[in-house]
Amino acid sequence: MKNRPKLFLTALIMVVLAAVSLLLLQKMRHDNSLPTHYTQVDALPRIFPDYVDVTVPPNIAPLNFMVDSVEDVVCLIASPVGEQTFGGDANKVEIREKEWHAMLASAKGHSLLVTVFAKRDGKWLAYKPFSIYVSEDEIDPYISYRVLPPTFVGYDKLAIRQRNLTNFEETDIYNNRQISRGLEGQCINCHSYQNYGTSNMMFHTRMQNPGTMIVYDGKLTFVDLKDQSMISAAAYNSWHPTLPIIAFSTDHTMQSFHTRDVSKVEVMESASDLIIYDVKQNRVQTVLNDSSELELFPSWSPDGKWLYYCSAHYEYQEKYEDTDELLRNYKMLQYNLYRLAFDAESMTFGEPELIYDARSKNRSAVQPRVSQDGRYVLFAEGPWGLFHIWHTSAEVQMLDLQTGELVDVSQLNSSLPESYPSFSSKDRWILFESRRDDGNYTRTYFAYFDRQGKVHKAFMVPEKDPEYFRLLLRSWSRPEFMKEPVRITPSQFYEKMLTEPIKVSNH
Amino acid sequence: MGTSVRKVLKAEKDKKLKRKEKRETTICVASPIIFFLSFLMLCWYFLYVRNADTMYFLQDRGWWNSTSLYLKECMSVPGGLLAWTGSFLTQFFYYPALGSIMFIALMAMTFALAKWSFRVPSEWSFLLTIPLAALLCSDIQLGYWVYILTDVDYVFYHPLGLFASLLLSVPFWQYLPVSGKAKHWISLAWIPLVAALFYYPLGIYALLAAVLVALRTSWKSLILLVPVLWLVPMLETSGSTLMRPDEAWLYGFHKFELNSLRDYSLEIPFYLVLIVPIFFPFFKKLPSGHLLLSQGTMAVVAASICLCLAQRDFRDYNFHAEMRMQRAVEECCWEDVLREAEAAKTPVTREMIMLRNIALINRGELCSKLYKYNNVSIPPAVVSDSIHIRIADQAADLIYYNYGETIFAIRRAIERCMHYGYSHYTLRMLTQCAIVNGETENALKYLRLLSRSTFQRKWAEETQRYVDDRSLLPKCERFRMPLHLYNCGSELVGVDDKYVELTIMNKWKSTLTDDPLAQEVALGCAMMLRDRNCFWAQVQRYYNIHGDGVFPTHVQEAMLFDVYELGMKGVNLSFVKFDQTVLDRYQAFFTRLNQYSSQGMNDQALGNALRPEFGDTYMWDYCVLREVQTN
Repeated sequence: MKNRPKLFLTALIMVVLAAVSLLLLQKMRHDNSLPTHYTQVDALPRIFPDYVDVTVPPNIAPLNFMVDSVEDVVCLIASPVGEQTFGGDANKVEIREKEWHAMLASAKGHSLLVTVFAKRDGKWLAYKPFSIYVSEDEIDPYISYRVLPPTFVGYDKLAIRQRNLTNFEETDIYNNRQISRGLEGQCINCHSYQNYGTSNMMFHTRMQNPGTMIVYDGKLTFVDLKDQSMISAAAYNSWHPTLPIIAFSTDHTMQSFHTRDVSKVEVMESASDLIIYDVKQNRVQTVLNDSSELELFPSWSPDGKWLYYCSAHYEYQEKYEDTDELLRNYKMLQYNLYRLAFDAESMTFGEPELIYDARSKNRSAVQPRVSQDGRYVLFAEGPWGLFHIWHTSAEVQMLDLQTGELVDVSQLNSSLPESYPSFSSKDRWILFESRRDDGNYTRTYFAYFDRQGKVHKAFMVPEKDPEYFRLLLRSWSRPEFMKEPVRITPSQFYEKMLTEPIKVSNH
Repeated sequence: MGTSVRKVLKAEKDKKLKRKEKRETTICVASPIIFFLSFLMLCWYFLYVRNADTMYFLQDRGWWNSTSLYLKECMSVPGGLLAWTGSFLTQFFYYPALGSIMFIALMAMTFALAKWSFRVPSEWSFLLTIPLAALLCSDIQLGYWVYILTDVDYVFYHPLGLFASLLLSVPFWQYLPVSGKAKHWISLAWIPLVAALFYYPLGIYALLAAVLVALRTSWKSLILLVPVLWLVPMLETSGSTLMRPDEAWLYGFHKFELNSLRDYSLEIPFYLVLIVPIFFPFFKKLPSGHLLLSQGTMAVVAASICLCLAQRDFRDYNFHAEMRMQRAVEECCWEDVLREAEAAKTPVTREMIMLRNIALINRGELCSKLYKYNNVSIPPAVVSDSIHIRIADQAADLIYYNYGETIFAIRRAIERCMHYGYSHYTLRMLTQCAIVNGETENALKYLRLLSRSTFQRKWAEETQRYVDDRSLLPKCERFRMPLHLYNCGSELVGVDDKYVELTIMNKWKSTLTDDPLAQEVALGCAMMLRDRNCFWAQVQRYYNIHGDGVFPTHVQEAMLFDVYELGMKGVNLSFVKFDQTVLDRYQAFFTRLNQYSSQGMNDQALGNALRPEFGDTYMWDYCVLREVQTN
């Protein structure tokens, strides 16, 4: 009788050990060897994410993928240094990082040839091989983005995260769960960086502990970017490439819901102006405040001599900001692209110069981003309004400032919304957001933009588990390239947020 | 002689004493067993008999799936294993009887473990049921909080936590073949270890385990316990971005908090669950053999438990009826919805009225039976004077969907997910909306997730057919009317400001459609809102569509009332083929109204007097329920 507890304990330990062993065996069970008997199929495999014939940077993380409705998958990847097989859990192919990077390094300027073998109904099929072209141009190693449910009003669980593109490491830059209590959420948005670096960066917080978190020369300040001369707190922004200046739009935002249109929501600005903020002097200066123009999305040219933005012309019938009237006429809000010359010496701006007349095409162009060589402007274009990620016909466009013509970017677009495009620090990679996978959850895509001005097929940011984005019930929105990770820790942001924000001046 | 009598008397006295001892022993052994069995029956009564609808609802608004992503998300915060396991087990309330049995089994296991581990004397073992009763209470007291619970694992999280704490505090060192001193050191080492190793899987319950281990080791170990309790949560959560820094010590403790409101009364059970086990190690020191004391205490505990459970059980009729009606609407059991509506004799909530109207719409009876049911409405009961729930928080998506307003349904569903997390219910609703909208890939995304849960797989497989073949939609009761109303509804842009009913009615009263089914909804909404312009425009349209002059009963009543009582000008009712019954009742209503008025009855008395005879008419509704009530 005395031995009973001992026996019980021994049995318990044995059971735990057996369970762990079984799990390990299960993990090791995956056999990556190629099938000896298979049927050749005269078709390319339908893989998710779609990496068939894409062009990738030589420093990207493994392009893991999966095949639907099959029991098992292995793939053979041929590179200049030889062939390797990879498999994974059931219908997934999970490529080991070390081997992948070696293959990419050997295939720079060439391609990898991928043959997929899939087991369906107990029989192996071999699909036509496809290529993955490996560019010689590296991509900026980091991106940052907002992670949030496809929400309309609430903002309980929001995070700004950063991802190392050369592997699968993903961390929070700041997460509002650090400060939120109950349903009293905190909206965090508009993260941006000076020249793709993180020593100078910023993001806004709204509702709980509102203000703007600015990092300058690695030093953190918390600023209340709102004064009496501004119609609202500063919102959409862009860092001047060299000066301690951030351009902002300030705006009154409203949103309404469709009853049948699957675009679901319309976001409108009933008033908006442009300002610049001098980080060192803690001072704002109005740039544009025409009441009949709704100016938005400022964006500096990389040489710092131009401030690009978009603007919609709208005159209220009753001369006051009648939101009901605007709601009735929301389709009239179509934005054109403009730019202002900037004199850094005198801190003055020239007259608005129209660079793209979207309205004449019955379209609305927003979110301009200029390439480092100053030649191209990427922007999002939709039927009206400014929040194109909700417009099913929204697409990314690229304007060639030399010719004044649009570049063929059909490889970027799909039948579902695309938005928020930007260039990498060396112009060779385009980053944008898209809802092409399911229409509702925003995902991050890249595309190669070669030196001949040709855009290549876009591909989704790779994940360790290729099913990740299918399972994730959150969007990755507003992606930005970064050359380095953010070094300020989430705790430092949190601590700073508990302090009183510094009031901005307009002297 | 005298000696033998004395002997006999002594023997008899001994016999009596033995009998008494035996009786006392029997009572000591039997009464705790009876007590505990009664407690288990009480669990069954409150969980299954009284709250089966609530328990089903809790699993339906819960969420579990077998993906590694879900597991990873659960494990990213303290108490992750409890959250994952709790949400897995909560699913079993899909069959409330099965869920209840599992809950009761866990209660029994916890009781047995505590009794064995802490060597609690049988006569005092009833004390172990106090935290268990608190756990039961925590499930049945929620009321309208069920709509705003953020925990998808609520039902099993804390029972599992308590069980795990007790299990981890079992003094295994006593069974190890080592010296007494070594045993002491092992027990001391186990205090920080149990807290550190299990803080992430078990949250606050790992700390409870550390406390129990310390208490059963020695008083001196409390010196070690204090820094452990302070440091472990702080160190393990330092750098975590998924919680407030000040939450580290209480992560896993359920707070009933909504913005600035906090309902401490609902938290009492959780205080008991955490505090009472601290006394378990001392129960073995309670005096044994004092039958009066133990049995008296048992009686007090039994009475207290019964009283508390009876008191805290949320018995509001409408609360339970709403949940039953929501389920019936989702499952298209229109008869069940109407049976609930008919059974409700006291004032009902606006949500019940909306759900009933959905059943009537689907049966094509909105304008002919609308007033035959109870339309006297009240707001949902308030829980602990803190939460005023509205349709927007309850089943707005379900209601919007059934009126074909899929975009608004998605909006409300997503907003709720943002606040309270995804649920089986929400994913089903989002799937159906996506199918009606033609958002195939989006529907597939949700179906993939639902098929990874335990009890939603069948629903996902059935629904997959409608994604693959849209031509089946009009033949499916779940999609038939929503699709119809979606296709016939007008495209507008606006907001609902949380007024779900008013938003739907305002849209539909002015929707001009030639579709007979959708037009009857429009006519019904105009009639309910008493909007004369819209009503007559819809009457005209109804006449144009049907062309025979035959109108539903309530529309006939409304037309008579509007023309003859309210003096609507310019309407010639000759195009209407009135039912003789309608005409007779209309006349009888005003005869009776005048009669009662002349008796000096006040409005309320008048309404009550007329109700048995005319409570099912438009006239009664208009005259008695003066204001159009919406939410």
